[in-house]
Amino acid sequence: MSSVFSFQAVTDGVLMNFRAGVNFEQIKSSVKLHAKEAGDFFKGICLYINLNGVKLTFSEMQQLMDIVQNYNKVREIYFTAQQSTQKADSEGDKALIINRTLRSGQMIKHFKSIVIIGDVNPGAEVIAGEDIIVFGRLKGVVHAGAGGSREAKVAALKLNPTQLRIASLIARSPDDAYTAELEPEKAYIKDGVIIVEKL
Amino acid sequence: MAGTTIVVTSGKGGVGKTTSTANIGTALAMHDKKVCLIDADIGLRNLDVVMGLENRIVYDIVDVVENNCRMEQAMIRDKRYDGLFLLPAAQTRDKTSVTPYQMKELIEKLKEDMDYVIVDSPAGIEQGFKNAISGADRAVIITTPEVSAVRDADRIIGLLEAEGIYKPEVIINRIRVDMVEKGDMMGIEDMIEILAIELLGIVPEDEGIVVSTNRGEPIALNDKSKAGQAYRNIARRIMGEDLPIMKLEKESFLSRFKKLVGLS
Repeated sequence: MSSVFSFQAVTDGVLMNFRAGVNFEQIKSSVKLHAKEAGDFFKGICLYINLNGVKLTFSEMQQLMDIVQNYNKVREIYFTAQQSTQKADSEGDKALIINRTLRSGQMIKHFKSIVIIGDVNPGAEVIAGEDIIVFGRLKGVVHAGAGGSREAKVAALKLNPTQLRIASLIARSPDDAYTAELEPEKAYIKDGVIIVEKL
Repeated sequence: MAGTTIVVTSGKGGVGKTTSTANIGTALAMHDKKVCLIDADIGLRNLDVVMGLENRIVYDIVDVVENNCRMEQAMIRDKRYDGLFLLPAAQTRDKTSVTPYQMKELIEKLKEDMDYVIVDSPAGIEQGFKNAISGADRAVIITTPEVSAVRDADRIIGLLEAEGIYKPEVIINRIRVDMVEKGDMMGIEDMIEILAIELLGIVPEDEGIVVSTNRGEPIALNDKSKAGQAYRNIARRIMGEDLPIMKLEKESFLSRFKKLVGLS
């Protein structure tokens, strides 16, 4: 899926670039799946679909328009054609670094990775398009790969989340077995299930 | 089946609304009733923690109102009773995310296949309170034997009447027998005289509440606890049973001795 298109952050939203040489069937199926898995991750932002280098017939364009309509609650969808600027790192391309503890009721959402230097308390929520790394105790709800990326990982010095989600999978910590000491762990998807292992 | 909606409210904070909601709901479910608890305290949710269901939340009441999910997807089934459900509040939003009208619509729909819908109201008399009482058929007011809590309860009774919810009932929480006997605490009769509403039950102060809250296991599940017994009695009164109010005398050595030899 990720090999068919990639995302790039722009000032008021994200730019969807298609890989050179993909055919319409590939675009159709992967965008369809992605729109479904993304949920309302793109809520309130603009989605730019970069048609640079992609040739579509009239009916293919119509089909594509039908599919991208499934992206929930985006502010506006634009079709553009611009040279891919993958190399030029804009602000939004970098990981978001949070230098404080997140408390109950606070929510952080970012399209790329999120790094938190501090704890994530119960009741706080962290939603990232890619990885989530917590240099502290992770006890709240985290959602890595919220755009549908199953390669996303979650790592923390103490991994004890209320709930841990990666892409469309959900796991929760065991009800017992809480110890206070730090033991760095990471969680990722392997064979369709969320695996937790020591770092 | 058209159920009854009961709002649990108090005005003052910290008197035991959430604890009472969790316990009444659990006690009703023990009698094989179908019960849904709604946490109306958006932004400061607690009911999920007290019920021990926090880590199962995926969708919440705001998601239901905004049509991000179906009602059944947001309802969390209790660990212990199949007939008990929780509709959690959102934590990252505030009270204005839901309007009284939306709340009423949601409750009407929920009532169709529940025996009881119990709404845990937030403290205060602002929008959160207005959301919580919209759609209520009955109201249960929680108060403690303190002048401030009774004052707030009185204000709430007036506000409920203005909204057309008549005949609320009161639960007096955290009674300490030793203090009442010494005359240091307001007595039950004094409080009923001020509020002039029906007494639904009294709940003695119990250290076990702290433990049960922290563990996420309502105390109504505990056979040995007096507070648990009090909540189970309250549930039976809600179902229409005519049960006498629990006697809260401290058993002295003498009275225990008398009972033993059959003198009283």
